[in-house]
Amino acid sequence: MKALKLLLLPYMAAVIAAAFLWPEPAKGFIGESSRIVFFHVPCAWTSTLAFLVAAVYSALFLWKGNPWFDDVAAAAVRIGLLFGVLTLITGSLFANIMWGTWWNWDPRESSYLLLVFLYAAYLFLRSAVEDPDRRPRIAAAYALFAVVLMPFLTFVAPRITASLHPQTVINPQGKILMDTPTRAVFFGALAGFSALFLWMLSIEARAGRLARRDLGAERPAAST
Amino acid sequence: MSRTSSAVWAVFQKDVTAELRRKVALVAILFFAATSLALVAYAVGAFRLPPEDRPPLQAALLWIILFFAAATGLPRAFVAEEESGTGLALRKTVPAVFVLAGKTLFNFVLFLAIAAVAIPGFLVFLNWTVGSPAAMAATILAGGFGLAVASTFLSALVARAGQRGVLFPLIAFPLVVPLLLAAISATIEASAGNFPTAPLRVLVAYDGAASCGAYMLAGVAWED
Repeated sequence: MKALKLLLLPYMAAVIAAAFLWPEPAKGFIGESSRIVFFHVPCAWTSTLAFLVAAVYSALFLWKGNPWFDDVAAAAVRIGLLFGVLTLITGSLFANIMWGTWWNWDPRESSYLLLVFLYAAYLFLRSAVEDPDRRPRIAAAYALFAVVLMPFLTFVAPRITASLHPQTVINPQGKILMDTPTRAVFFGALAGFSALFLWMLSIEARAGRLARRDLGAERPAAST
Repeated sequence: MSRTSSAVWAVFQKDVTAELRRKVALVAILFFAATSLALVAYAVGAFRLPPEDRPPLQAALLWIILFFAAATGLPRAFVAEEESGTGLALRKTVPAVFVLAGKTLFNFVLFLAIAAVAIPGFLVFLNWTVGSPAAMAATILAGGFGLAVASTFLSALVARAGQRGVLFPLIAFPLVVPLLLAAISATIEASAGNFPTAPLRVLVAYDGAASCGAYMLAGVAWED
């Protein structure tokens, strides 16, 4: 496992180098701006993966009652939010190059902003529930309710109105509109970002468990 | 009448009786709807909008009024139980699913009452025309039901959290945006005299998904 983690560093370095050097810039985009697809889409993918992991671990917590599952769910949401914000920043950079504005309320970018708000609300809700026994149950219920309605935000809402967003990956034809080098780097980046997420998740969840145990150790002392 | 429907009806009747006894909350919500309608009518007027921009702007304004008027009242469903100290008694006597269903029914009726104030006002003060009243009625019913289900469930989540007043809009807004977008889209179609098949499908799908999520998670959200 440790070897895999150590391999991730040169792998990610190779993906980043390939993203800038190997594929030709895509036609129809200004300058080298199309290369952002190697960072923007993997960030969005990782963020969505993190929110799905949070839902799975929330369900496991409600089923088994093991607080470790809640630690993982909360950690997944925090990391998902980090990648969600990176998605918005990289999307905003691309929008400024292509359309001359940092933010243009494109349906897909707006729905992603709302997705970030939705999971930021998860953290607000956690911090607002003072009872430590109720907090994970309420957070898990919200995470599961949110994941049920998430497809409406990510897949349905952006299609109700017209969008400027390029459709290289998700499009009505159901095809990935990329040449071979672009496709290789793109999927390499997706795999690398996913592995990075799993590494970050294991660290963040263990940190969450330590914080919970610290709080648990403090509680009886505070009551005496 | 089966045990299920009689329990749901009992919760609904209890909420109606409590609300009619207090009156202040109900009057405040309807007054909010009327005031915001007057504000919109005063600011925009019946003929100040260019004719080609009227359908989308009027539909958006109508749903903004309906949503924010509803947002002042719908979160009270479970919060009022905790504030009046009746939450524990309700938890001990009625299963969570029936409580949720009864309160959803009450919130749905409350939404229809708000719509009954706002829509005639909109027709009169903003010279709004509805080409297909049946389609508009279907939109109000489907949109209102989804709003009632999501708001009632989220009200159960925040009922025992701190900062409830601030927390509810934070967690509700990102979740109901897809519903509002579809409702606005359906209203534009209904105003033009068309039957909004696609947006109504989205509304019904949202209603179904939210109802299933709320039904499965009702116990987690409300019970100890």
